[in-house]
Amino acid sequence: MSETSRFRSFEGGHGALKGAQTAWDMLSGEQMQKHITTGCEELDAILGGGIHCKEVTEVGGVPGIGKTQLGYVYPFQLRIVLKGSEVATEAYTKPYRIQLAVNVQIPVECGGLGGKAIYIDTEGSFMVERAHQIAEGCISDLLDNTAHRLKDFPACPEILQPNSFLANIFYFRICSYTEQIATINYLEKFLEEQKDVKIIVVDSITFHFRQDFDDLALRTRVLGGMSLKLMRFAKKYSLAVVLLNQVTTKFVEGSFHLTLALGDTWSHACTNRIILYWNGNDRHAYIDKSPSLRSATTPFLITGKGIRNATSHCKRVRMM
Amino acid sequence: MLPGIEPLNPLLLLPAQKLTLGCPVLDRLLRGGLPVGSVTEIAGESAAGKTQLCLQLLLAALLPPSRGGLSAASLFIHSEFPFPIRRLHALSSSSSAADSLDHIFVAAAHSPDDLLSLLATADGLLARPPTHLPVRLIVVDSIAALFRSDFDNNPKDLKKRSFLFFKIAAKLKEQARRFGSVVVVTNQVVDVVGSEEGANGQRVGNYASLWSSGRRVCPALGLSWANCVNTRLFLSRKDEVADDGGSSRTRRWMQVVFAPHLPEASCEFVIVREGVSGIEPQRVSWTIAGHATGKRLAMASLDLTSIAL
Repeated sequence: MSETSRFRSFEGGHGALKGAQTAWDMLSGEQMQKHITTGCEELDAILGGGIHCKEVTEVGGVPGIGKTQLGYVYPFQLRIVLKGSEVATEAYTKPYRIQLAVNVQIPVECGGLGGKAIYIDTEGSFMVERAHQIAEGCISDLLDNTAHRLKDFPACPEILQPNSFLANIFYFRICSYTEQIATINYLEKFLEEQKDVKIIVVDSITFHFRQDFDDLALRTRVLGGMSLKLMRFAKKYSLAVVLLNQVTTKFVEGSFHLTLALGDTWSHACTNRIILYWNGNDRHAYIDKSPSLRSATTPFLITGKGIRNATSHCKRVRMM
Repeated sequence: MLPGIEPLNPLLLLPAQKLTLGCPVLDRLLRGGLPVGSVTEIAGESAAGKTQLCLQLLLAALLPPSRGGLSAASLFIHSEFPFPIRRLHALSSSSSAADSLDHIFVAAAHSPDDLLSLLATADGLLARPPTHLPVRLIVVDSIAALFRSDFDNNPKDLKKRSFLFFKIAAKLKEQARRFGSVVVVTNQVVDVVGSEEGANGQRVGNYASLWSSGRRVCPALGLSWANCVNTRLFLSRKDEVADDGGSSRTRRWMQVVFAPHLPEASCEFVIVREGVSGIEPQRVSWTIAGHATGKRLAMASLDLTSIAL
């Protein structure tokens, strides 16, 4: 086989290696990729623009640090970002600030192409009143940031209502690990029907797996299977998966260390890992693992509106 | 297919149902009361007011929804003895419902396994309530007392202990979800020794440190139990000697340590003959157990006023 013909067969995406893609194709795919923001620019900045679609991101931290708050935020910000994405994809390679601007032009066109979210609540921490409050916060920020632009477009108030944001969340409440496995399996079929789902949040992946599992090897296998499924959904439907995890103490060489739950094997299950922690009286986020992002840390605030910058300037972001 | 696997529209969960604490000031602190469908922990040292608050909740649950109640009976599982029946009776005679004690089911648990089997049989009580009222409040007072003895401080026992935490919490959460009930669990505190934050050098929640009776404390049972509750409230107390030097009085505070739906906030309360009641924020001189900083206090009072608005 000559050099040229071999090249051609790969270009076609079939032939010797079915489904193979060139790195070039992957790069351009990557550049088209969408991010979902938090509303906290500093946090988005260390994440390279926000949570990535097609990837599984794990967020861990102690109780009360703000994991669930982060879980609430994404489904709403998602609505905003996706509306922008259809129109001006190239804007996404630019800094995140532009995203917001772009995002806003679109609700005006009212295509109603906003993405939907799946929220899997295993702990009972989803408080709809708080979610409603955050949706309001998103909307008011959106209007503040773009008041000068909005006058150029006909208003579209019904899309910018907290209730319409909430109605685009599919909420699953899970009470046991069998239900959790069954739900993830059910998503296979569900996503086939609901193609506009763009994010899956699991709050938390851990809770039901920390009960008496006599056979820890079985637990690892079950969790592994679940994470593979979620990763496949992420790729296939180009959606983002956010898994919230708890922290635990681990006994190493006679002393206790703090670490994310579910063990060492699990730590391979996610593409990115963000750890939230207390630094004095400030909440901080830290990128613990990522194939493409620099290790970095930033403070953030939890406000009535959701997650916000801890400072007015972006100077406190520290790259390491 | 398993039940509950169909997705729900969150709008159907609005307005969020709450159980009143039986006091408008404390309700304001918690934005209406304790949420239905999740587990709330009330932690505090002995005599901080945990059981008093629980007894008040039992009676509050009987109130009609128009007064913040659930029109529901309740299940009280106690592991500390004896059950304060005289106090409950005194409280109930001042409440309006005549037959309130008929709708409060009391059971005792002596060990974690005991509690688990009790909760398993409680499914029957919750599904088929013996009176005309549904049972929609479950109180466990206290969880810490169950774990006080049987476990050593070695990795194997700690692991066993935390498995049990998650098993108990999962069962309580399942009942909270299935029967739309409010679950309240009380917890004791342990002293914090040394300068490190929290029990394992780890801060949990809004406060870098919690103080009660002039001691630095943190809720018992460690980090793994903290992962099991949705909301953690902390009750603290402090004895103060009046200026004339003679009489001393006890001041008490409730603090929101963490909650998915609440900001950091706190409120002073008193325990009187009629029960537990909060003190309006403007009358509170902001010295939370004498240790919080001025900045934090200003924030806390701001929070309260915004809630009041």
